[in-house]
Amino acid sequence: MKQSNIALLESEGSLYTLDRFTVVPVLQTGGTIRAIEGEKIAFPESSSLSVFPYGPSSGGMVESVYFDILTQGEKIQHVGYDADFKNRSIKLSGLTMNEALLRIERMNGVHCAAYSSLFCNICESGINMDVPDQVKYLRIAMMEAERISSHLFVASRLTGGASQNIAHMNILLLREELLRTIAMAFGHRYFFGVNGIGGINRPVDLNGFAKKIRHITDEYNEIFRTLMDSRVFIDRLDRSAIILGENSSGPALRGSGIKKDGRNFHTYYEGLEFRTITADGGDALARFIVRSGEIQESAAIVEQAVSRVSKLNVDSQGNERNHSFMAGGFMETPSGDASMIVKMGNGRVESIGFRSPSILNMQAFVESVSGNTFADFLFGYESLGIWICEMGDFQ
Amino acid sequence: MKAWILRSFKKGIITSKFPRGKNETASPWSTLPIYKKGKQDPYCPAGAIAQGKVDANRCISCGLCYPEYEPSMDIHGSESSVSVSALKKSIRIYQIDVGSCGACNLEIGALANPQYDMTRLGISFTNTPRHADALMVSGVLTENMREPLRRAYEAMAQPGVVFAVGACAISGSILGKAVSDALHIDVTVPGCPPDPFTIMDAVQKARGIV
Ligand code: SF4
Ligand code: SF4
Repeated sequence: MKQSNIALLESEGSLYTLDRFTVVPVLQTGGTIRAIEGEKIAFPESSSLSVFPYGPSSGGMVESVYFDILTQGEKIQHVGYDADFKNRSIKLSGLTMNEALLRIERMNGVHCAAYSSLFCNICESGINMDVPDQVKYLRIAMMEAERISSHLFVASRLTGGASQNIAHMNILLLREELLRTIAMAFGHRYFFGVNGIGGINRPVDLNGFAKKIRHITDEYNEIFRTLMDSRVFIDRLDRSAIILGENSSGPALRGSGIKKDGRNFHTYYEGLEFRTITADGGDALARFIVRSGEIQESAAIVEQAVSRVSKLNVDSQGNERNHSFMAGGFMETPSGDASMIVKMGNGRVESIGFRSPSILNMQAFVESVSGNTFADFLFGYESLGIWICEMGDFQ
Repeated sequence: MKAWILRSFKKGIITSKFPRGKNETASPWSTLPIYKKGKQDPYCPAGAIAQGKVDANRCISCGLCYPEYEPSMDIHGSESSVSVSALKKSIRIYQIDVGSCGACNLEIGALANPQYDMTRLGISFTNTPRHADALMVSGVLTENMREPLRRAYEAMAQPGVVFAVGACAISGSILGKAVSDALHIDVTVPGCPPDPFTIMDAVQKARGIV
């Protein structure tokens, strides 16, 4: 099913939806998918405008995506997009939970920890499985390290785009150090295969993990402060792709001054101390400031989580029975909140409804760049941390 | 500016000596798993294990064969059917994502990180296939990317080298079709995703340097 701006699941002629930051799917009586998805915005036609087709495979973009950029002189009038070029239509129906988990991890490999934790959390609640607190804290440590890595990546794209070459190289260096630290602790730079239903699949070594992460984030903080003194850098991001209101997700939402973060509503994060970072303005600069603040907060969360994990046994058993359930959940990924509804029947996936943060952020992006100059396009896009891979549909 | 210079001095030399020296690190499960113990082949969700051996092209680096298998930590798993000496001095690479999860793309991009510094080996990325000597393809082949991939290949100077980076591109992994459904693959770079050192090693093999 194609993703919409809300998680939808269709089963036996009924439609279920899951609101943001909630875990209980709601049956829509009389609703139809078409009505809930809404109409696609029509592309305006005008003879005095120029259309720049951009993509789907363009050097400079990390993933394949197509844009139609309608301009009048330097100014962007309208942007249309097609994220379907690399849509893998990942097939999940008929799979066991474990088989589905491997595919969910790869829905967005860069945010594997968040997506695998989300799916495991939903399945565990669906089968009423008691999961040791240690496993939850380990997942938090993974997700927060992943958030730092993802935010550093966005920072590297912005500094690279703004020709801040020394800062760019220093951030790449820090991110590489972080990935190596993750690989040493978890056996994989992107956490593939660590999460299992009810536990973890292999031993991890958290010795020195939190300390190393703190070291990396402290170094980043120095770079951030130096960048905030650079008029050239700030000017590139200032007033680029202004997004205001509730229709975006993650750092984009918080960059518009709205103090909403899925971690504040999720049971996993209860009892952990961290600040919700917000900024004013809703532009690329605000999103950069939010991400930079979150990097520091994530380091603090990693420290707290790791201090609560002592000895973890490898155990992810007992999940291949003939379970039947429908359950929902959400998780704050580095790009924003994702929602998912899972329906299992006799131990097999019957249907999955999903809404990624990139679906919201892409729509917010194309609406925000109208009126910007062509040069702002890249900064606006990169500052949102949009992942095309997670915008695809499931079968 | 002074702050940046001081920072660089503090860091010292961080660039790898690879390939002249040994790779300093490896992402464990991105390297080929090797047999450790047990009488039977363990369950492998990618069907990569048979008779005590792992098919590198199918392995999705999930680690589910642990503890019977453990990572080899060997980053030399790529295979090249070409050895293009004309590219020994320099090679320009165009990266094309035909259906990836993003991680392979970032590991290809990681070659530009200071720790790898690909430019010291004459490797660079180009933003257009017209200036490319090689395509690095990542992801499973989606129907919609078939045509852009073909066009990128045709735009590249011939003979161009085609790298399939990652289990998806090489074999379709557990997610879809391999790139070989549309193009002949010259170099396979196994792993899900491959370690950046494995990608660097593959580039050197295709140039006949290793
Ligand atoms: S790591 Fe996973 S895919 Fe590779 S051989 Fe082991 S079980 Fe199979
Ligand atoms: S091989 Fe693995 S890391 Fe690479 S695109 Fe496929 S799923 Fe992602």
